[in-house]
Amino acid sequence: MSKKTRRENAILASPMVLFLLAILGFPTVLSIVYGFSETSFETLTRPEFSGLANFADVLSDPTFWQAAWFSLRFGLITALLQCALGLALAVYLAPLVERHGWTVAVLIIPIMVAPAMMGLMYRLVLHEFAGPLPHYLYAWFGTAPSFLGPAHVFKTVVLAETLQWTPFAFVLFLTAYQAIPSELREAAAVDSARPWDVFRHIEWPLMRPTLYVALFVRFIDGFRVFDNIYTLVGAGPGGSTTSMSIYIYESFLRRGEIGKAMAAAILLFLTAFLLLAFGQRLTKGRTE
Amino acid sequence: MKHLSILRGGVAALAIAAGGMAQAEVTVLGWPGGPEEAALRAVTEVYNAKPDLAEENKVELLFTSRDGFFDKLQVDLAAGSTAFDVNLIATYSIGRYAPFMEPVTLSDQAGAVFGDTVLKTMQFDGQQYGVPTDLSLHFLYFRQDLIDALLADDAAKAKYAAIAQEHLGKPLEPKAPADWTWEDFVANALYFSQSVNPDSPTRYGTVIQAKNLLFNMMVFHSWPRSYGGNWMDDAGNITVDSEAYRTALSQAKLLFDLGATPPDSTSYEYAEANAAYASGQVAAMVQWNAAASELTAAQATTGTTAPPAGPDGKFTHIHGLGLGLNKAAENKEGAIAFLQWLSTEEAALAYAKAGGAPGLAAETAAKLAADRPDLVQVGEYASTYGFVMNGGTSEKALSVYEAQAKEFTGYWAGTQDLDTALKNTTAAMTELLK
Amino acid sequence: MAPRWMVFSIAALVMNFPVIATLVTAFKSPGEVSRNPSLWIEAPTLENFVTVLTISDRLNIYHYLWNSTVAALIGAVLPMIVAFPLAWVIARRGVGRAVLFPLVVNLRALPLIIFAIPLYMMYSVAGLLDTRLGLGLILAVVNLPLALMLLVNAVADIPTEIEESAQIDGAPLGRLLWHVVLPLCRPAMVTTFVFGFITAWNEFLFGLMLTTREAVPMTVGASFFFATSGGGVQWGVAAAVMVVAALPPLVLGLVMYRRITGSMVAGAVKG
Repeated sequence: MSKKTRRENAILASPMVLFLLAILGFPTVLSIVYGFSETSFETLTRPEFSGLANFADVLSDPTFWQAAWFSLRFGLITALLQCALGLALAVYLAPLVERHGWTVAVLIIPIMVAPAMMGLMYRLVLHEFAGPLPHYLYAWFGTAPSFLGPAHVFKTVVLAETLQWTPFAFVLFLTAYQAIPSELREAAAVDSARPWDVFRHIEWPLMRPTLYVALFVRFIDGFRVFDNIYTLVGAGPGGSTTSMSIYIYESFLRRGEIGKAMAAAILLFLTAFLLLAFGQRLTKGRTE
Repeated sequence: MKHLSILRGGVAALAIAAGGMAQAEVTVLGWPGGPEEAALRAVTEVYNAKPDLAEENKVELLFTSRDGFFDKLQVDLAAGSTAFDVNLIATYSIGRYAPFMEPVTLSDQAGAVFGDTVLKTMQFDGQQYGVPTDLSLHFLYFRQDLIDALLADDAAKAKYAAIAQEHLGKPLEPKAPADWTWEDFVANALYFSQSVNPDSPTRYGTVIQAKNLLFNMMVFHSWPRSYGGNWMDDAGNITVDSEAYRTALSQAKLLFDLGATPPDSTSYEYAEANAAYASGQVAAMVQWNAAASELTAAQATTGTTAPPAGPDGKFTHIHGLGLGLNKAAENKEGAIAFLQWLSTEEAALAYAKAGGAPGLAAETAAKLAADRPDLVQVGEYASTYGFVMNGGTSEKALSVYEAQAKEFTGYWAGTQDLDTALKNTTAAMTELLK
Repeated sequence: MAPRWMVFSIAALVMNFPVIATLVTAFKSPGEVSRNPSLWIEAPTLENFVTVLTISDRLNIYHYLWNSTVAALIGAVLPMIVAFPLAWVIARRGVGRAVLFPLVVNLRALPLIIFAIPLYMMYSVAGLLDTRLGLGLILAVVNLPLALMLLVNAVADIPTEIEESAQIDGAPLGRLLWHVVLPLCRPAMVTTFVFGFITAWNEFLFGLMLTTREAVPMTVGASFFFATSGGGVQWGVAAAVMVVAALPPLVLGLVMYRRITGSMVAGAVKG
């Protein structure tokens, strides 16, 4: 790499690096210090070095593992559901969308609503006596499931997340679908291929890269879920809906275990780093 | 003296330059919405209208979200915020915020206006950290029409007794709610639940708000207290794993298991529980006194009394809300003046008349008997039945409630058994209160 | 087309169900909210909207809307500015792919609120506390990961021949980026902006922690309106304030939805 190239690279990377350093530099350093210290809100300015004690604390805390498992499951299931639904809708509705563009607008309304408010609204929508959904279920079927009771609460939050963010995946797939050169499809039509074959052999291979992007973004967002679950059911009975973010938030602000919260965050970041490295290897395989 | 005032002017100018937003008034951070806000606005107007009040000591109110209020306050105070001089505190959080606040000396009238019980709700380590503004405790809310119908119907009484026999092991008689024990409360809840008694006029006998939320533990813990339960004994040992807690927890569990409280109520908080009661499908519930007007408006035949009794008598959790002094306040003098005035009879009466719910000594409350008869009831219950658990104002009180909320709701929801829940609670509390 | 209209209608209904319920609730009186849970409004009223829009002496919704607009604009635009040049370096030269890229992208997985305390301290020294700029800056951090992901993909998607032919003309790198690469990335820029704006607009926790008076954003301000004593919720007012709060991102999204659909192409096709 020539000197000039290197200088160019440095200049081009500098806005990001400087911005990150300016805003997150000090917080990161302090958080790492806290991660290795015994700290409370009263001793913020004089943390006592405690080695790996916080990390040991976190790793031996069953709630941490419960939260990790919850986030993993939640992230995977919601990402898969959203991508499957989004893909199906995009492919099936594409001809409709082509002629009536406004239909996209109707379908993407849910992502405009703040997740915290969405959670709050579900508190009303699902309420046995004040909510429209149980109201109609009672009217039509004489009974309604206990949406937020212990038996169904996981399914309910998965469903709520899926309904709100499927439009995100839908938009991604729709654009990928529309970007497929029409000549390819026309050529297939000349060969009088069935729609399913067109999808399988022409459209699907071209859309697969989008699937990776969509799965990745949706998984990350599902994994770190906070606002909507927290406003809807909190940490859940017995902590059963404690996501990773909720775990860290509660350790930090509710229990004042600053060091432990930081240690958990550091572990989370390292894991995410590894996951992304793994994911990148996957994507490398297809782009090169 | 001239050079001094120049110096002072210079310092003020510097402060403005440095802070960018140095405040020329006393700022108060509180909760928006509800009668608390209306009442605080009303007394602030009275205070600001005083002719001898200097311009820079006028009070300005700031409000911030109730959701996450204490989390925000934690961050603000710990980081030494100067954004407000006075902030809201509650009995259960004084210990947590005391390190970042300063004790205040109240006016000479305070003792007579509020009485010792109420003043104590704002004390930590023997020092007064705030002026009590509102007092919170619990009522037993019940549908008088349903009770009357039950008491007038012999067949219903027999059914009631049979249900009590089956589930509680004794044939209880229906009684007026003022005479209830917790067993009567349970029997009544079962009788009025369609899952147990298909003829019940209501779908559920009660509603227990059991979301994993610390405030819900306050609503619950009058129950174990009336069986003699406490967080710890005088020697500081955690005593939560006791017969009292076991009895109360398993009685409540019975209501969840038999469908006497809505199946979703493990996700209910205040708003949901009230909505359930307001729909007319719930016969009785224990709820905060703040809900009185809402519940009575929705169900006109609603009666209120103190929570049911246990072997040790009747008890209600009490806590005070109040205003205290931020250690980093920029206008301490002005803030202290305001807090002192707030603890006078003039202020307390104005606060009550504007809709607030201050805990007042009997003589003070008597002056308001015509305007606010409910305050007489609140004051009476507070002094007769009010309790605070040992450790309930400690630095870690909030975390204790959090731990209990997690474990107890887990037991009720069936994710863990009673022994595990109590073992975990004891472990968490031992760690927190050591 | 008929079955497609069916599927569209069902999808629109199901996905928008909570939004529809919110809209309906906003037009019900408090009494009706607790009495009538159906989606049929017996006595439609504008009472809730009037409450939300006219109690400006107590709570000023216009102030919160303005704060959110400014903070969300900063939070949406700034990430594009800092991410674009880096995105080119990563996509074209592979520099930063190993460390910087995963570092930034992984910020999305972290609950950034753990930085609340140090940020608060830093902001109070820098005078950024309770300012729209301060809030905007941290919202920009929140948006960095998605911005970088989308822009890296967009740059990688531009056929290298176009850039090479420009470079043969001897154009300096700065001009190349500004006149050739940037215009080709415009669709991705639009997407980044729209999603960034929505995310920034909808953020709650930093808005709560870092503001008290001057810069309170809409999401935090919204909760002031419907709070009642004891932690209750006035559902009608809550619904109305949610509708008002969701309008700006909604309008932006709807105006630009054609752009969104057009622009994802670049980022999405190759990934």
